[in-house]
Amino acid sequence: MNGIAIKTAPGHGAPGAGSRGDGRPRRRSALAFVMIFLGIALFIQAAIVVQARPQDLVTGAAGIADILHRSWPPDFAGLPDALWPALQTIDMGIFGTVVALVFALPLALLAARNTTPARPVYYATRVLIALARVVPDLVWALIFVTAVGLGPFPGALAIVVHSLGMMGRLFSEVIEDMDMGPVEALTMTGASRLAVFSHAVVPSVLPSLLGITLYRLDENIRSSLILGFVGAGGIGFQLLTAMNLFQYRTVSMLLIITFIIVMGAERISAWLRARIA
Amino acid sequence: MSAPLIAVSGLAMRYPTGRVALTDTSLALAPGELVVILGANGCGKSTMLRCIAGMLKPTGGSVQVAGRRISSLAGRELAEARMALGMVFQNAHLVRRRSVVANVISGTLGRHRGLAITLGRLPESERPFAMTCLNQVGLTAFAEQRAGTLSGGQAQRVSVARALAQRPLALLADEPVASLDPDAAQELMGLLRRLAHDDGLGVLCVLHQPELARRFADRILGMKDGRIQFDTKPAEVKETEVAGLYVKTTETLAA
Repeated sequence: MNGIAIKTAPGHGAPGAGSRGDGRPRRRSALAFVMIFLGIALFIQAAIVVQARPQDLVTGAAGIADILHRSWPPDFAGLPDALWPALQTIDMGIFGTVVALVFALPLALLAARNTTPARPVYYATRVLIALARVVPDLVWALIFVTAVGLGPFPGALAIVVHSLGMMGRLFSEVIEDMDMGPVEALTMTGASRLAVFSHAVVPSVLPSLLGITLYRLDENIRSSLILGFVGAGGIGFQLLTAMNLFQYRTVSMLLIITFIIVMGAERISAWLRARIA
Repeated sequence: MSAPLIAVSGLAMRYPTGRVALTDTSLALAPGELVVILGANGCGKSTMLRCIAGMLKPTGGSVQVAGRRISSLAGRELAEARMALGMVFQNAHLVRRRSVVANVISGTLGRHRGLAITLGRLPESERPFAMTCLNQVGLTAFAEQRAGTLSGGQAQRVSVARALAQRPLALLADEPVASLDPDAAQELMGLLRRLAHDDGLGVLCVLHQPELARRFADRILGMKDGRIQFDTKPAEVKETEVAGLYVKTTETLAA
């Protein structure tokens, strides 16, 4: 898209632009050429590094067909045993989101430029939030599994820490974009600093924060599925076990449950967000 | 004349950048009086209002509000002294997602320091009083509506009601009609005059419209280059004096 727009620019500029406009479009088209060349080179090195061999897909087609055949029909005999892990997966998401919300709100107030009490606090909370965010939840889960053992709890902790980072950052951005007028107005009424927060800042940003939280809940339920793969319980752990035992019909049944959970969380979250907007 | 509500004497303000915004400015505001300050952008009128409200610390002189020297207070004492001053800004600065009456009630927060109220509960005992404040600006019918749904003029009147809920002795208005259409501007200025004449509030109002100042003010102050140029009754203000405020001078303000 961009490349095309830049390329057509000299065509438009040349006839009417005269001597002054002459040099610029040409330099720009040279730049466009270099950018396109670099883009192609970047992609080719990526293809080499990932060892992309499309022919493998063709020769592997038989294997895929075999797995699909062995997965069919889904084995619903194991369904009752899968319900508890399914609930675990959903609850890891809910627990993680709620606890993260409780901590993210005060943290975001400290990490927003317009509400932070002091510069050092601002930088310290920013670093804390960045640290929680840049370490993937899968890594947090591995750390917590080592610390507190197998089961859903380390998974929930991983979700708490990772979404604390995500929510802290998004919350502080919402707070920084807020209209500071009401804050100034309430300060002038003689209200205390905390009262100004709770009566001017909170009502202004609460709907956006709830929207972010609901979106995060949906994401967290999805990531709690994956956390099961590193031993953090839930349906992901069941999926991994079934795969290791080559029980492909159980795998397909679990995938159907996964599909229902993810779609359900997504729909409910979207519906709630539409209601508060 | 009664004792002044606001007494400013020898006020000087020099910003850390070296810009001198105010030089030896004095004024007095009595109860029941609507005083309008006219002047071009950068003449120091907003700086003076901010010094009076205690939002800026002046570099010289003093500001007394109802007998308390506000210019040398800080923290809790400043917050308490400020409660005598209701502030009306260029924009209404309402919390748009809250109801109109909730916005007015929030003007009373300075008087309520309970934990629940500090954490976001409204002092419901103030609701009847907030309604009388809304009644003064003629907007009781809109009490339960969201503040975000109001027109500019209505929102500005609600912000006046919020300032009244604070039970102030004086109102400070910084270009309160700058974002209003002419009709709404007239209405708001009429409201400010009524509050001064009928309820005995002192009103100090910065304006950019000489016509409005002539029509509504009891006294007009002309400011230029950080000094008060004239201080007279509207009828005695000469056209040339007003025009002179807006003439650019070549000498800079930097000392």
